[in-house]
Amino acid sequence: MNNQMLGIIDAAVNQHSLQDLTAGRSIGAVPFAGRYRLIDFALSGMVHAGIRSVAVFSKSPYRSLMDHLGSGKEWDLNRKRDGLFFLPSSIPHDEHVGLGSFRQFAEHLDYFQRSTQPYAAVANSYTVCHIPFQEVLKQHLESGCDLTEVCQEGKPLGLYITKKSLLREMAEGHCAGGAQSFEEVCRKERGSLSVNSYEHSGYTAVIDSPESYLFHSLNLIQPVFREQVFHMSQPVYTKIKNDPPVKYAKNSRVKQSIIANGCVIEGEVENSVLFRGVHVGKGTIIKNSVIMQKTRIGENCRLEHVICDKDVKIGHHIEMSGTMSLPFIIKKGAVQGALMNS
Amino acid sequence: MSWAEAGRFGILHTNDKMEITSFEEKPKYPKSNLASMGVYVFKWSVLEKALERDEKKSGSSHDFGKDIIPALLEEKKKLNAYPFKGYWKDVGTVRSLWEANMDLLGDHPLLDLFERNWRIYSVAPNLPPQFVAEQADIKESLISEGCAVYGAVTRSVIFQRVAIGRHSAIKRSVVMHDVSIGEHVEIENAIASAGIRIPDGFRAKGEDGEVLLITEEYVKKHKVV
Repeated sequence: MNNQMLGIIDAAVNQHSLQDLTAGRSIGAVPFAGRYRLIDFALSGMVHAGIRSVAVFSKSPYRSLMDHLGSGKEWDLNRKRDGLFFLPSSIPHDEHVGLGSFRQFAEHLDYFQRSTQPYAAVANSYTVCHIPFQEVLKQHLESGCDLTEVCQEGKPLGLYITKKSLLREMAEGHCAGGAQSFEEVCRKERGSLSVNSYEHSGYTAVIDSPESYLFHSLNLIQPVFREQVFHMSQPVYTKIKNDPPVKYAKNSRVKQSIIANGCVIEGEVENSVLFRGVHVGKGTIIKNSVIMQKTRIGENCRLEHVICDKDVKIGHHIEMSGTMSLPFIIKKGAVQGALMNS
Repeated sequence: MSWAEAGRFGILHTNDKMEITSFEEKPKYPKSNLASMGVYVFKWSVLEKALERDEKKSGSSHDFGKDIIPALLEEKKKLNAYPFKGYWKDVGTVRSLWEANMDLLGDHPLLDLFERNWRIYSVAPNLPPQFVAEQADIKESLISEGCAVYGAVTRSVIFQRVAIGRHSAIKRSVVMHDVSIGEHVEIENAIASAGIRIPDGFRAKGEDGEVLLITEEYVKKHKVV
């Protein structure tokens, strides 16, 4: 069964659903779970299923995503045969036809012509779960259907498996009625195509709003959920950075949190996720929040239900709070309050 | 270099121009505390000849400190000492390795791993960030990726993928990578070597200023049955 599938990640859909967090990056490049980017989960899942050729369909702004994926080395996809293909689209932003847009596949038919794998696994870049693509393929073949859609409790997860030859026909507009994407084939117009459904159990996080981002970030702090996404035998691969260990100061107080390397904690952190290199000053209290890379928070601040993007500088005595359903988002590189000297 | 430790090193004697006048390798009674750090810069032509001569010398241990430097001094070559003022520690003993780790802690550590202009690069494994549980209590410590901390950690250095169970307390210790520590464990003034499993209820403490090295054999011998 190995090398039967090629992987397709549609990183061009849902570009703006995370508001300020996706202002300058595609959704797949949004940092998640302390050291990863959202796309790492789909990409690692494909690699663990033996997929050796992955095409990432992207749309501007994709600099951040491209920088993260690089040559594909971290996913063992820097290969002479097959490997990682980064395929940007020229379709304008406002045209939305749902996940797995045929027109964007049609722009890169070469990829489908040159690859040798008979089946294609299609995923989005914002679903965090541990999908066993090999099992999905097995069930797809048994069903005899044209297309298999992965669902959880009947809700579609935006993951599909189909024959590559059929995908090419769909991309060239030869079948699927008037449907313009995989999503439309399943939801609207399927012509003569038959669709099978694969039920996925196990923790699944679809990150499509600031609310779901915060909800799942905090959920994954709990070992019972984390173990379903981070298997020791099938690690989630990501771009590795070199950072010192986390430094806890004399008065630090950290409870129920995920902390990435390079952080310096002098204050209190509770039920929160801290990415690499975050500095938490003395007397500061952070609760139910996500703080991304290299953000520096001064002394005696209070942050609750906050999603703080990368490289933010927060001065002293600043209070910010949102709610679970309406998290307070701080934009990348923002400066709040008087600047610290360091 | 402290006088107490000077005997572990090659000791230099210099004149007021910092020219080396004599050199003793690990003297029992050092007359100077200017220790050689084992870092040298040579003019290649001089070093090349010295190495060739040393190669032919019978009884030479082919060592910079023991053979090459004394031979160059004998030949009246001009040797200069560069007094290094930064942090330096030779971690050749269990105690000095432990001390060097402790030197990384505190608000103003002697060696700052967070120095932005002097980053220490290493092999970085792909590990999830560390998990700190509700019951955990961490103070003045360094803890690396892949760890899961459910107990108390005070003034300690914890390497990658270490698990510390509930009601356990680690004090003034170094825990190497992949160590699994059970519940109700107490460890103080110790180095736990990599990969070992420390069972529930285990207690180990370096007494009277000694640093205890906890190995697999030590755990086997001292396990409460």
